[in-house]
Amino acid sequence: MNTDILYWVAEEIGRVNRNAAYKLVLMRNYEDNINIRNGQIEKMLHASATSLAMNLLIDGRDGFFYTNNVQTDALKQFIYNAEKTTRMLEPDESRTLADPERYYKGDGDDLKIFDDSLSSIDPSAKLHLAQKNNSEGISLQPDLISFQTHYSDRQHQALYLISNGFQGYEQCSRCTLTSIATANGEDGQHPADGWGETRIFFNDLPDEGIARVAIDRTMRKIGGKPTKSGKYQMILESPIVGSFLQPILNAMNGQYLHGKMSFLADKLHCQVISPLVNIVDDPLIPGTRGACYFDYDGVATQPRSLFSNGVLDTYFIDTIFAKKLGTKPTTQGIHHLIMQSGNQTLQQLIANADNAILVTDFNGGNCDPTTGNFSYGIEGFYIQNGRIVQPVSGMNITGNILDAWKRVTALGNDFDPWETELLPSIVFDDISFGGL
Amino acid sequence: MFPLSEEQLHKILSIALSRGGEYADIFLEDTRMSSLELQDNTVSQAQQVMLYGAGIRVVQGTETGYAYTMDMSPESMQQAARFAGSIQRAGSMCHVPMLKPAPILTPDTPMLDPEASEEILLSINRRAHEISPLIVRVKATIAQRMQTIKFVCSEGTGFSDHRPRTTLFISVVLQKDNQTQMGFGSRMYQRGAEFITPELIEELLQETVQQALFLFDAKQIEGGEMPVVMAAGSSGILMHEAIGHAFEADFIRTGESIFTGKLGQRICDNHITIVDDGTQPHDAGMLRYDDEGIRGQRTTLVDKGILTSYLHDRISARHFGVQSTGNGRRESFRHIPLPRMRSTYMCAGEASEEDIIRNVKRGIYAQTFTNGQVQIGAGDFTFFMKKGYLIENGHLTTPLRDMNIIGNGPQALQHISMVGNNLKIDHSAGMCGKGGQRVGVSQGLPTILVDKLVVG
Repeated sequence: MNTDILYWVAEEIGRVNRNAAYKLVLMRNYEDNINIRNGQIEKMLHASATSLAMNLLIDGRDGFFYTNNVQTDALKQFIYNAEKTTRMLEPDESRTLADPERYYKGDGDDLKIFDDSLSSIDPSAKLHLAQKNNSEGISLQPDLISFQTHYSDRQHQALYLISNGFQGYEQCSRCTLTSIATANGEDGQHPADGWGETRIFFNDLPDEGIARVAIDRTMRKIGGKPTKSGKYQMILESPIVGSFLQPILNAMNGQYLHGKMSFLADKLHCQVISPLVNIVDDPLIPGTRGACYFDYDGVATQPRSLFSNGVLDTYFIDTIFAKKLGTKPTTQGIHHLIMQSGNQTLQQLIANADNAILVTDFNGGNCDPTTGNFSYGIEGFYIQNGRIVQPVSGMNITGNILDAWKRVTALGNDFDPWETELLPSIVFDDISFGGL
Repeated sequence: MFPLSEEQLHKILSIALSRGGEYADIFLEDTRMSSLELQDNTVSQAQQVMLYGAGIRVVQGTETGYAYTMDMSPESMQQAARFAGSIQRAGSMCHVPMLKPAPILTPDTPMLDPEASEEILLSINRRAHEISPLIVRVKATIAQRMQTIKFVCSEGTGFSDHRPRTTLFISVVLQKDNQTQMGFGSRMYQRGAEFITPELIEELLQETVQQALFLFDAKQIEGGEMPVVMAAGSSGILMHEAIGHAFEADFIRTGESIFTGKLGQRICDNHITIVDDGTQPHDAGMLRYDDEGIRGQRTTLVDKGILTSYLHDRISARHFGVQSTGNGRRESFRHIPLPRMRSTYMCAGEASEEDIIRNVKRGIYAQTFTNGQVQIGAGDFTFFMKKGYLIENGHLTTPLRDMNIIGNGPQALQHISMVGNNLKIDHSAGMCGKGGQRVGVSQGLPTILVDKLVVG
C-alpha cells in the first residue's frame, strides 16, 4: 500500500491545527462474492475499496471520522470539517492516544494470515469451486426445495499512523464456502440449515464435504416441534457456544463497566463460572484467524488468560476506559479465543446424556447486560438414554448467564481450529426450557 | 451533484449490457452521516462518516452481476460495468435508449449544526436528572444522515433524491437498593431534526425512565404456551418478523418461504388486513422511489384474511409476471437491491384494548420489545419482550421483563382472535437486517389477542 497519502493527511492536519494529535488508518479491501442456487448463478459481486479512518484529538477533545473518498480535494474538506467538529466538543481528559511505551515495536515474524494471491486468482477458479459444491448438493439430495452455495473472500490491508510515534501495517485474508439446504418438511414447513468452512488461504478450502453436512443438518430438522417445558441438561453444540459466551465477554468490557451495565463489576479474581472453564486469548499464534501483533490503538497484543478454573482473570480495558475507571489498561478485546477442551467427542457427550436437549442453533433472544438474565429461542434435538429421539424447535431457554455457566459439567473436544473462537461443545446441567 | 453526464452514464449502461442481459442500472451515492453523543454529562463524542461511490448491476432473469467503485471517473465506472456485465455468456449487445433527465424528487434538507445538537443533548441530560434522582447515567445521541443519490437504468429513466434521516436515542441507567436497571427509547424519521421538540423530548424521557423504574419490580415467570395480548405500537414486530419477511418475494421465488404458493388463499380470519406502506410522510420506510426506480406505494399483503400480494423487487416481479411493488431496497451503492419491507402494519379492528385483556384468563400482556428474527422456511419467529404484564382473570397483575416469545408465522396469524381499534405505528429507530444489509423500517399494530404463543 502507498504510505504517501497517510503522510499527506498528517501534514494537512498539521496545517489546519498544529496542536492536533491523530490516529490514521488507511484501509484497502478486496472482495468477491458468488451465489449459486439450484445450479444457476444468482449473484456475482466484485469490488475493491479504499477508505480512511481518522481520530482527531485537540486539547482533550476527540472526534472520529471516516471517508471512502480519498481524492485530494475531498480529503481537504474532510479534514477541515473534522477539525471544526472536534473543536466544538467538550474536553474529556480520558480521551488520549495510548502510551507510546505500549506500542508494538514491529519485530515479529510473518503471522501467515494473508493470502497474497487471493485478489489475483482467476474468478473462474472461485466460480468452479462454488459450482462444484452446488452440483454435489443437488446430486446428493435432488428433492430439495433449494440448495444454495455461497462463496466469499476478502483481503484486508491497513496502514496505521499515530502522531505520538506509531506506524504499523496489518494484512489478513479469509475465504468462505457455505452451503444452505431447504427441504420440504411437515405441515408445509420448509426447514433450512447450512454449513460453512472458512480458511485463510484459498487453496486450503475443502472442495467437497460441505454440501453433505449442510444437507444432513437440514434433513434431521424435519418434524421439529416444541417439547414439554421443564429443566433439562443442555448440550450446546460447538458452533454456537460463542453466542452463549458473548454476554460474559461483553460484561468484561471497560465500556460496560464504566456505564454501570456489567454484571461482572467488582468480580475480578472471583470465581464467577464453573471451575471446568479455562479460556485464554492468544493473538500471537501464526496461521490462526484473528492473529495480530497490535490492536486498533497500536498497542502490542499478548497472550492473556480470561478465566482460569472459572476465576475471572482480566477485564478488557483500553486507554480511554482505563483513565475513566482509574485503572491500568489491558487490551481492547479478544482476538483469538481458546477454551481448554475436554476429551469427549460430541457423540460421546450425547451418549452420556439422558433427558437432555442438544441445542444446535439460537433463534433470537437477549441477555440483560446489567443483570445477566437471559431468554433465548433455541432449536435442536431431544435426547433420551444417550440417543437423539426428536428434533425440537420453537422453545426458549431462560435463566441467568453466570448461573448457567456455573453449571458446566463436561466439555467436548470438537472445536473448529479455523475459527477465531475455538470453543468446544459444552454440557450444562439444569437449564430451564420453555415449550409446551 | 455527480461528475457524470447523462451521455456518460448512457455509455456505461451500454458497456454493462454489451455482452447481453435484460436490464442494467447505476446507483450513484454521496452520503454524509454525523452523530453527536452526550455521556457523563458532557457532549464529548462526535462521529462523521462519508460514503461516496457507485454500484452497477446487470440482470438476466434471476442472475445478477454487480460491481461497485469509489472512483466515479468514466474509466473506473466502465471497468466496473464490464465486470457486472461479465456474468452474461457472450450474448448480443442490448440497446439502451437515451436517458431522460433524472428529476430531483426532494430538495436538500439542512442538517442540524453541531452547536444546536449539543444544546438539545444538554437539555435532555438536565431534564433526565430532574425526572428521577435514581438516575446515575444518561446517554443521548442525535444521529443524522443525508443520502444523496442518482439512479439511472437501461429503460432510459432515472431520478435523483435527497434522503434525510434523523434519529434521537436516549438511554438512562438507574440504581436503587444495589440494583441497576436500564431504560432506553428512540425516534427515527426521514426528515431533519425539527421533530425534536421539547414535547417530544419530554415524552421520550418519561417513556425511558418509566421503563427502567418498571424493571426494578418486574420479573421473569415460568415459560410455556399461553395467550398473548400484544399491545399497540412496538408489538408491530409481529408483523415484521412473523409476516413481512416471509412475504419478501425473493424467498417466494426460491420456494423457501412458508407462504410460497398461498397467493389468493385464505391464511387468517377475515377481520385481519395487513399492509406494507412506503407512502407515509417522513416514516423510516417511506420511499418516493425505491432503489430500482419504482414509485413508492402502499401494498396490501393480506386483505380481510386473503393473501393478496408479496413484496416484489424488479427480479421477482419479472419472474412472476407482475408489477414490482416498489420494495427493491439497498443499504448503499455497495449492495445489491433485495425485496425489503417499508412500514408494515395491521389495520385497526373494532375491539377495545380493555375488552381484549378482559377475555384472557391467564396470559401475557406484551408491551415493549427489543429485537426479533425469523426463520423464513420454518416460519418460526421470535421477539424479545422487554416489558409486559401477567394477565390473570382479565386483569394486568405481575410486571414482567426479559422474556422471549416464539411462534410460527402462519399458525400465529390463524390464532389471532381479536383485533383492537387502536392502531399505532412505532417510530423507534428500527433498522432491519437482511443479507448483510440494514435499511430503515417501521411497523405497527393495534392491540391484538393471539390465542397461543410460546413464552419463555
